[in-house]
Amino acid sequence: MKAPAPSARRHVQTLWSWLWIVLGVLYFVVPLIATFDFSLRAKKDVLTFLAYGRIFTDAAFWRTFSFSLQMAFFAIVVSILLVVPTAYWIRLKLPRLRPMVEFVSMLPFVVPAIVLVFGLIRVFSGPPFRLTNTFAGTNVLLVAGYVVLALPYTYRAVDTGLGAIDVRTLTEAAQSLGAGWGTIMFKIIFPNLRVAILSGAFLTLATVIGEYTLATFIVGNKAFGPYMSLIGQNRTYESSSLAIISFLLTWAFMGLIQIFNRGRAEGHLAGAR
Amino acid sequence: MLLAPMSSRLNTETVGIKRDAPQARPDSSRWRNWLGVTPFFLFTFLFIVLPSAYLLVGAFRNNSTGQFTLGNFLGLFTPEILSAYWVTIRISAVTALGGGLLGFMMAYAVTVGGLPRWVRTTLLTFSGVAANFAGVPLAFAFIATLGRTGMVTVFLKTILGLDLYDQGFSLYSFWGLSFTYLYFQFPLMVLTITPALDGLKREWREAAENLGASTFQYWTRVALPILMPPILGAMILLFGNSFGAYATALSLTGGFINLVTIVIGSQIKGDILYNPGLGYALAVGMVVVMAMAMMIYFALRRRSERWLRQ
Amino acid sequence: MSFLTLANISKTFGATVAVADFNLNIEKGEFVSFLGPSGCGKTTTLRMIAGFEMPSTGIITLDDMDITYQPPNQRNVGMVFQAYALFPNMTVAQNIGFGLQVRKTPPAEIQKRVEEMLALIHLEEFASRYPYQMSGGQQQRVALARALAIQPRVLLLDEPLSALDAKIRVELRLEIRRIQQTLGITTVYVTHDQEEALSLSDRVVVMSRGHMEQVGTPYEIYNYPTTEFVASFVGQLNLLPIANLDRTARSCTLAGQPVHFEHSTDRPISDTPRLAIRPEEFWLGDGQGRNLLRGRVETLIFLGAIIRVRVDIGDGVLISADLFNARSLNLPRVGDEVLVSFPVHACWLI
Repeated sequence: MKAPAPSARRHVQTLWSWLWIVLGVLYFVVPLIATFDFSLRAKKDVLTFLAYGRIFTDAAFWRTFSFSLQMAFFAIVVSILLVVPTAYWIRLKLPRLRPMVEFVSMLPFVVPAIVLVFGLIRVFSGPPFRLTNTFAGTNVLLVAGYVVLALPYTYRAVDTGLGAIDVRTLTEAAQSLGAGWGTIMFKIIFPNLRVAILSGAFLTLATVIGEYTLATFIVGNKAFGPYMSLIGQNRTYESSSLAIISFLLTWAFMGLIQIFNRGRAEGHLAGAR
Repeated sequence: MLLAPMSSRLNTETVGIKRDAPQARPDSSRWRNWLGVTPFFLFTFLFIVLPSAYLLVGAFRNNSTGQFTLGNFLGLFTPEILSAYWVTIRISAVTALGGGLLGFMMAYAVTVGGLPRWVRTTLLTFSGVAANFAGVPLAFAFIATLGRTGMVTVFLKTILGLDLYDQGFSLYSFWGLSFTYLYFQFPLMVLTITPALDGLKREWREAAENLGASTFQYWTRVALPILMPPILGAMILLFGNSFGAYATALSLTGGFINLVTIVIGSQIKGDILYNPGLGYALAVGMVVVMAMAMMIYFALRRRSERWLRQ
Repeated sequence: MSFLTLANISKTFGATVAVADFNLNIEKGEFVSFLGPSGCGKTTTLRMIAGFEMPSTGIITLDDMDITYQPPNQRNVGMVFQAYALFPNMTVAQNIGFGLQVRKTPPAEIQKRVEEMLALIHLEEFASRYPYQMSGGQQQRVALARALAIQPRVLLLDEPLSALDAKIRVELRLEIRRIQQTLGITTVYVTHDQEEALSLSDRVVVMSRGHMEQVGTPYEIYNYPTTEFVASFVGQLNLLPIANLDRTARSCTLAGQPVHFEHSTDRPISDTPRLAIRPEEFWLGDGQGRNLLRGRVETLIFLGAIIRVRVDIGDGVLISADLFNARSLNLPRVGDEVLVSFPVHACWLI
């Protein structure tokens, strides 16, 4: 009957929505297609995975990749051990300090990576620390830097996770059943924060694995990010295949977070540029 | 009936104090409680506060004499460095606006735009990936797309006869870098603005319609004003995001674009015009801009949270 | 013709039937409540009157005009939502004036009308406050004023009190009724709270699973429920198994004890008829024209003004009797043998 007006309006709205989605998807996909296409053209006039083969047989690729993986691993472990007990303790015993801890955990937003690394090098190359004089020392500094970069995301994920469980009641229940602090931490708090911790961990992994700014100034070409940069300066097709590999890695980590989070938009805001 | 006028006064006192359950017995006087947060504060002091403080102090000190000076900051007012700040600010503003618009429209499409649910889930996952796909590999991807022999460049040239590089475009210039940054900017906008769009209550729209408002009136008088703080906040986040970007710009242009981050990078390397005091001042300048951006961001966020809670 | 009519209205969402075969005529100035449990279709029906949903079948007319498919923003029907739905970016005055503003009413007139509305809800001094600075009850009154400011032809209220505290709920209930009577506005009120529906309405429509169960005045609904659903949803009810039913003599037995009833039995009743009695009809002890039952006190529940006594009358049949907690009440103890009685005219068969 007289129904068409609202439904026509809805059609226009849906069309308008699709228009923007298509535009965004094009922006997202075209560079990937172009890169993939380019990565297959290492030989004239044929499509080949040669560039990928060269990367995967490059010892430097595996060396730098596993180095960055190790750095990421340590950064994740340190982040969790640092953030979870702190956030828990703040909620339980020192709620007055919460704004302060929140503020501190947001500081890395204010200090860009390039500024952070500048300060880190200046402070820790001289006495009393002298961390930059040894390999172990530079690795420690890099891990610390990564923990700082990840801090805002890790803290927020953990704090949100703690907000979703009733920390005080759980703790009191555990205490009334005779549990000590260790048991409470490892048998109650950590398991209940599984989702938050895992998504924080994979987000850290995704940002740290190809990280360039901190790595190049602290450890140089030992890390994966600087390695990619080096390849980009000398080898055209291989750099495209590295971009695709790196993209797939990011995709895998983010996909895992998505699985843990079940479609919540929270928790995957980006890290270092 | 006498109850009515009374009741209007009845609740005024209780407004605003009913948030948050009572915080049970946090007795923070005991030193043992502070022990629990010592590692965190020690770590952040060592690796955030100390490095920042070092740069700050260094920025106010004469390099050779060690005395207090404002000379390092005066050194910022050279055409070279002012232009670095100006280009960085412009590129950040352009990508924040562009990424903000595209990201907002996409988030709009999947929240209130009437698209099927799977589009939303897919878009959010894609955005999570793209927002984190930055730095060296992103530069490679755009070289393969919009570089001189990039797919899109070649496509436009052969199919449409449009030679981008003849038209004055270059991937290694301001606009090229902006297009590249947009790749992680608009997904970041999608991720930050989607929750705000979700927060638009269906009842607001219905109430507006019920009161006689058209769709246009609803958007201009209700929805957009409510969304304005989160939109501005998200754009400021985007601004900061490009402002601090280094790896992408460096690998794309090889350091030939004059950005603050690139200038600081070369100061760290100490290769050209080495002047540590100036480097420190540059870094402090960046932190000041970022801190201002973050302050505005948090002020806006507080306002929209106040509106949207309950 | 009635002011607002809903004729053969039905609404399906996919395979689910939300509302079926809904027919109702509402007179000008009448206050009608839709009462029912959640999911009974009452809100869907209200939303069809507001225009947020289109009926699958049927016609809605308002003031002799077919509004079935009219867009909501052209209906001039005021609506108050459960969660207030005040615009958070506007002050109280701006919220109330919004409907007039989009109608391009001159500012001076808007201001005058806003002041009238603020006076009506007794919130004059709150004009420049924002919603987040007000309590739930105040916000809901502003929402009411906003809906009334456009001088709507019908006022629709969708569970307006359910988000509020018990005490404010009662206050605001009185105020809604006062304002409705002052303005004489036709009102449709959706609620799941029987007390609200009974105390506010001229007529109540009891709904269940998309159907109208019964339409009547609060008195009719409570005292003469026509279906088992209405009888048990509105108020408390004892539903007791009976035997030896004799329709002509209007008698039966309840746990072996004889009972008479007076109500007509011409209404259709189920295959296993049961006797319905409200708990407040019972007394302790005997009286003229009453059925007498013998039993033992099983539990006593103290409810304040009322004490609910559960009496085992044999064969495992329990009756609930509500006794007024007056000083004169001689309260039995658990285990005591007691006599309870109820009027012959106060019970009926379902």
